[in-house]
Amino acid sequence: MTKYMKYVDVTKCDGCRACMVACKNWNDLPADPQDFQGSVQSHPKVSADTWNVMQYIEHENGKGDLEYLFRHSACFHCTDAACEKVCPENAISYTKYGTVVIDHDKCVGCGYCVQNCPFEVISLKEYVDKNGDKYRKSQKCTMCTDRLEEGLQPACVTTCHTGSLEFGEETAMLKKAEQRVQEIKGRFPNAQVYNPQGVGGTHTIYVLAEKPSVYGLPENPKVPTSAVVWKDYAQPIGKMMLGATTMALVGAFVTNNIISRKNKDQDGGQGHE
Amino acid sequence: MSNQNKPDVKIRRFPKAFVWAHAINGIAFFALYFTALPMYTEFFDWLYPVFGGPEGARLLHRIFAVIFITPTLILAIFSPKFLVMWIKELITWKKRDIAFFGNFVKELFGFKFCHVKQTFFNAGEKINSILQMFCAILVIASGFTMWLPQFFPRALVQWGYVLHNIGFGLGIAVIVGHVYLSVIHKHSRPGWSGVVTGKVPAWWAKGHYADWYDEEVKQGNFPDLDDPKFKKEA
Repeated sequence: MTKYMKYVDVTKCDGCRACMVACKNWNDLPADPQDFQGSVQSHPKVSADTWNVMQYIEHENGKGDLEYLFRHSACFHCTDAACEKVCPENAISYTKYGTVVIDHDKCVGCGYCVQNCPFEVISLKEYVDKNGDKYRKSQKCTMCTDRLEEGLQPACVTTCHTGSLEFGEETAMLKKAEQRVQEIKGRFPNAQVYNPQGVGGTHTIYVLAEKPSVYGLPENPKVPTSAVVWKDYAQPIGKMMLGATTMALVGAFVTNNIISRKNKDQDGGQGHE
Repeated sequence: MSNQNKPDVKIRRFPKAFVWAHAINGIAFFALYFTALPMYTEFFDWLYPVFGGPEGARLLHRIFAVIFITPTLILAIFSPKFLVMWIKELITWKKRDIAFFGNFVKELFGFKFCHVKQTFFNAGEKINSILQMFCAILVIASGFTMWLPQFFPRALVQWGYVLHNIGFGLGIAVIVGHVYLSVIHKHSRPGWSGVVTGKVPAWWAKGHYADWYDEEVKQGNFPDLDDPKFKKEA
């Protein structure tokens, strides 16, 4: 099965925000008006109604020069996705394209995924049903999996006019990223491919001009240790323990009855006070 | 049963505040358990509609969470003496407590056993109390981080999920044993009426908590069952 990736070369981005508009348009996401952020950036980060946000970062490089850095930010679609691990309803799953998607019929809005995503890209959205009752669902970028299924590319990629965003076969995208880093090393000595292995690699990879932390990204993101302890150990051991206790008590009940019956047959029962 | 020849005298084992605190604690525990069950395992997803959907289950879970916290306050306000005595019992461990367990296992499975003299709480009850208190602290503390994640550091919220899971996983395993012993196991069954009414048969209390019973007799609070008056009745 061919694996795919979204490739983001931040050094080619001109910050036009067409990717944000295309995403809103295709996914039918409502406007999400914000207060002035202190820069040209429209939203502080991705949200339930804004699945990708263009970051604008004023960064002073080592030489004392100011760099104006842009980054198209959205869900990374991790290979080992913490959100998928902690979801109690199995509402989050991997698709054959490697994307990570939320089944809104199964989602109960608990927010476990929101709290465990190492990149903090998942948000809860509140809805009101026809009876006026409120309910919540998790929301994030789907990498336009519905478009992929139709042989199309993600909306943000299709609309990108600088070639900053591409979608393609995994090995080709990784190779492209490595080559691009070599090309820009002269201007950006800290340039690197961001495809963190702590989450098994991601299906959105970046060519970053600077260290990840400059973009507010974790340097070594991973599935939280707490999520591993919780889902791989605490929960199964807890279930086993309940089973073991119950079995021991069923055993106690049975032996009690057998022994007291035997005693009754022999001498009318054991004295007890 | 062998209690047919015992004098029909009842003594007060638990103050009313404890009876209420225990009942509230028990009801809240099971309500919390059932409202969380569909989140714990998908096998119980059918419970969502029963509670009015995930939102209803969440609301009920929070209501019972608040109720679950109240028993400690009830005891502290209405029966602080009992609370102090309880804590004292929990931190006092002697040889007799260790000796209790061998006989307890025999008794649990119905084999011949003898009573090791115990104080107000026997060693098994002390272990139950310690585990339940430990689990309650875990689920209550982690419950706050889960309920109000916006006020806590992210790492604390993430570890909160684990501690909540461990707390109630261990809690329910202990509770199954606790309920079995009080409701089903024939020798400790008077304990059930004891925790509901606060009173237990004197002969049973003397048998199970000899040191406590004798002490209360000395203080003139309980009847001396060795008194010929009671022997005659028997």
